[in-house]
Amino acid sequence: MKSDDSPPHPDRPAGAVRLEGLAKSFDGRVRAVDGVDLEIGEGEFFAMLGPSGSGKTTVLRMIAGFERPTAGRVLLGGVDVTALPPFDRDVNTVFQDYALFPHMTIEQNVGYGLMVRRVPKAERAERVRAALAMVRLEGFERRRPAQLSGGQRQRVALARALVNRPKVLLLDEPLGALDLKLRHEMQAELKRIQREVGITFVFVTHDQDEALTMSDRVAVFNAGRIEQVGSPAEVYEHPATAFVAGFVGTSNLLDGAAAEQVVGETGLFSVRPEKIRIAHPDDPAGPDELSATGRVAEVVYAGGHTRFLVDLEAGGRLTAVRQNLDEGSADVLRHRGTDVVLAWQRKHTVRVGP
Amino acid sequence: MAPPPTAARPLRRAASVLHRRAGLRLALLLSAPMAWLVLAYLGSLAVLLLSAFWAVDDFTYDVERVWNTANFSTVLTEPVYRAIALRTLGIAVAVTVIDAVVAFPMAFYMARVARPRTRKLLVVAVLTPLWASYLVKAYAWRVIFSQGGVLDWLVGPLGLSSPGYGTTAVIVVLAYLWLPYMILPVYSGLENLPANLLDASADLGASAGRTFRSVVLPQVLPSVFAGSVFTFSLSLGDYVTVRIVGGKTQVLGTAIADNVTLNLPLAAALSCVPVVLIVGYLLAVRRTGALESL
Amino acid sequence: MRISRIARTAAAATAAALLAAGCGSGGTAGSTSGHGGLNPPKLPMLQSLGPGEGQVNLVAWAGYAEDGSDDKSVDWVHPFEQQTGCKVNTKIAGTSDEMVSLMKTGQYDAVSASGDATLRLIAAGDVAPVNTALVQNYADVFDGLKNQPWNSVNGQMYGIPHGRGANLLMYRTDKVTPAPDSWSVVFDGASPYSGHVTAYDSPIYIADAALYLMRTRPELGIKNPYALDQDQLKAAVDLLKTQHKAIGEYWSDFQKSENSFKTGDTVVGTTWQVIANMAQTDHAPVKAVLPKEGATGWSDTWMVSAKAAHPNCAYQWMNWIVSPTANAQVAQWFGEAPANAKACDRTTDKDFCNTFHAADEAYWKDVHYWTTPVKSCLDGRTVACTDYAAWTAAWTEIKG
Repeated sequence: MKSDDSPPHPDRPAGAVRLEGLAKSFDGRVRAVDGVDLEIGEGEFFAMLGPSGSGKTTVLRMIAGFERPTAGRVLLGGVDVTALPPFDRDVNTVFQDYALFPHMTIEQNVGYGLMVRRVPKAERAERVRAALAMVRLEGFERRRPAQLSGGQRQRVALARALVNRPKVLLLDEPLGALDLKLRHEMQAELKRIQREVGITFVFVTHDQDEALTMSDRVAVFNAGRIEQVGSPAEVYEHPATAFVAGFVGTSNLLDGAAAEQVVGETGLFSVRPEKIRIAHPDDPAGPDELSATGRVAEVVYAGGHTRFLVDLEAGGRLTAVRQNLDEGSADVLRHRGTDVVLAWQRKHTVRVGP
Repeated sequence: MAPPPTAARPLRRAASVLHRRAGLRLALLLSAPMAWLVLAYLGSLAVLLLSAFWAVDDFTYDVERVWNTANFSTVLTEPVYRAIALRTLGIAVAVTVIDAVVAFPMAFYMARVARPRTRKLLVVAVLTPLWASYLVKAYAWRVIFSQGGVLDWLVGPLGLSSPGYGTTAVIVVLAYLWLPYMILPVYSGLENLPANLLDASADLGASAGRTFRSVVLPQVLPSVFAGSVFTFSLSLGDYVTVRIVGGKTQVLGTAIADNVTLNLPLAAALSCVPVVLIVGYLLAVRRTGALESL
Repeated sequence: MRISRIARTAAAATAAALLAAGCGSGGTAGSTSGHGGLNPPKLPMLQSLGPGEGQVNLVAWAGYAEDGSDDKSVDWVHPFEQQTGCKVNTKIAGTSDEMVSLMKTGQYDAVSASGDATLRLIAAGDVAPVNTALVQNYADVFDGLKNQPWNSVNGQMYGIPHGRGANLLMYRTDKVTPAPDSWSVVFDGASPYSGHVTAYDSPIYIADAALYLMRTRPELGIKNPYALDQDQLKAAVDLLKTQHKAIGEYWSDFQKSENSFKTGDTVVGTTWQVIANMAQTDHAPVKAVLPKEGATGWSDTWMVSAKAAHPNCAYQWMNWIVSPTANAQVAQWFGEAPANAKACDRTTDKDFCNTFHAADEAYWKDVHYWTTPVKSCLDGRTVACTDYAAWTAAWTEIKG
């Protein structure tokens, strides 16, 4: 297991957000968050990834101040804010369904935080204009949220939060309500904006692709705890646990007898599907390679690539992925039922359990 | 295959005709309620308006169908009717304001603070008084306001005494009677208010008071107006409560009731006053978009 | 008051004269001012009693047609039904005005009209003259109730007298001291009881003020509290507006009034004997007196609708309700003086007729029965008097 808890930008001072032993139970029973320690650096784009109910959103809400922790502390910029209400914390939130005020215009929505904090009118107008320009919504000032599309509302929510120049921006499943195409656009957009403003972004998602593509670091949540923190590559290439291996990417595990026979060690091992080469039975494995024989049980054609589900002779099943470089769907489907050898480099075998 | 029983054939044919012709289906469906609306409701209003233009014999009180506007000029020019109309309006406004002020925190607690099970109980508790007879409640208040009654006993130690029967008692009792009609729309308005709007407001730096003023109130105001349509129009038309706890107070309702047995035309002209006031109020309220929350 | 008797006779004469003079204006009355006196349309009366029609529809005051449903022992409707085969359907009316409007529908056969309704019913042709020869018990009715201006026109009876009562002054003996003997306690001297004074809620109550003014301000020249010219009405209205400040509630529901006296919300004001009796039964410290100025009162008359579908049963009912036994029962239940002299022998309380002054004509001399005010002054003056419409408008104004 290899994990790196230090921020990837050592030149920046650490500690925009610091969570110490954070726990939260609802109704005195359910432990939604069960002891979370985390340090997020200045200017980081940080993802909290996990399935629903894993506690990631609750942690975000505790950072924002909407929930009071049952135990532990929240520090923002080194200051303990655990007891402070949301309006006294220097963070802003982009809500999952945006939470725009329906009775206000876009201008009023974006300017709300400034108005509440009694920013002079002229300055307020200028900052609102700049914020709307940053999210490319010039000309929408007088409209109401109901007149905008989902993507536009998303941008308004972003502008409304950023216009206050918070130290940390919290995003709760910010792209969850958008369709796939728009989501990809917004991912790029969010990255651009984060680079522009240079503040810490903490965003919650259940989408591993989103977490991997956008963030500097990822924390993988499971059952109220953090399983692993690290850069996307670390989390993907070197999952610390079987859960991380399964949740980030496809679950591809070798266990028990299969592990002993194929890897030569006892334990639980993970191999990423795209690392696996499908060879002919008589094709020998390389010197640094591990190999396993098996029969193709299922072939899944997915356009750009094809997934082969192979039942191993040693027991268990592995998935291998191959780019469809020159084969069409009819060709790849022929492989069903054939005997194959799977081969991969030893370094791509990651121990995820004893 | 056996032919269908002959009795069923005409029915089936009618059904298939209806199936093909959506317009006919709609007409059949709506004819009963439309007849009710036009005949019973609009019809009676029309008769009311019409009879306001008739006269009665000064002595025998036989209605005479002589077209004249004397009743309206009486209602509009006699200072006493103007005083009565203004008093009634004042009572209706006071009742509405009191109900809005009292209902808001109660509805807020129900919709936002109480746990789901408590919430259901509270809704039932708010609705329960509606099951009791209006008269019983009004008479209960008569006992409360009575000389040496519950109210005297309660406020006596403070050196105060019951205001007795009169306008104050009318306002208090009407506010009590119509309170559920205000609480329910406000409650549903607050319940429909997304929780994350409150979070968002706090997140953007607004205190609880600020959030209430800038986010909650503007969005629940239509519900308050919707409730006020009930409290306002019910107060405007009431005369039973006034009879029971109003003492010597005269309102439009009692003035109409006093005239309705014998001088129907004058009563009709008088009853146009609350109709005009309510229509005016509805038009004003409509501009706020409150009628959509009814 | 000696004069009232004369005034009443005069009024009857005036009414008769008007009847003769005013022919032809009946149909469109109200559009002209010439319609003040009595101008009843010529209507036939029943000449002979035929067989009963099987039922009769009545409009009555509460308590006038009891069938045992309020109190099992109080029932003079079922014996009537058994004896005559006429089933009784009763519609209870709350006010004289309601009685008038109900009779206008033509769906009822008979009505127990008070004096402020009778003339209106007669003039409108809603009720027919009554052939007293067909009502056997009429002979025993007190003479003081026969051929009165409120139940007859030109010597023709329009109904059978039922009973009479006075509007008395009731007060709480523990709250009102010294014991009042004058209406001044609810008018000029009402201020100590401000907020706890009551008055009857009807335009006819203006007559109570007029009666008081008749004695206290003779310069106004009021001879009959139901015959007020503009100035006299204004004086009465002013008095009542002053009284309004002291009023706690006006009453028209006798049970509510009794309750107010019992709780002490009302400590002084006008009442009926029956209310005083009820309050005393409930141990309320109240007393009812006939003040020295005299009082207004009511004398009820059973009348037959001009459109009666069941006239024979209606006549039989009238005969029944003034029969000694039934008249005694209804008088005791309601708390009023019976109309039939022989009823006094049938009351369970042997003192009843004395308590209610049934035969005490001197007592009734001071009682001015409710009469509908009309434009042609009932006291015989030739000036224009104010009519009931004017009183109704004034009453609304008084109550503000």
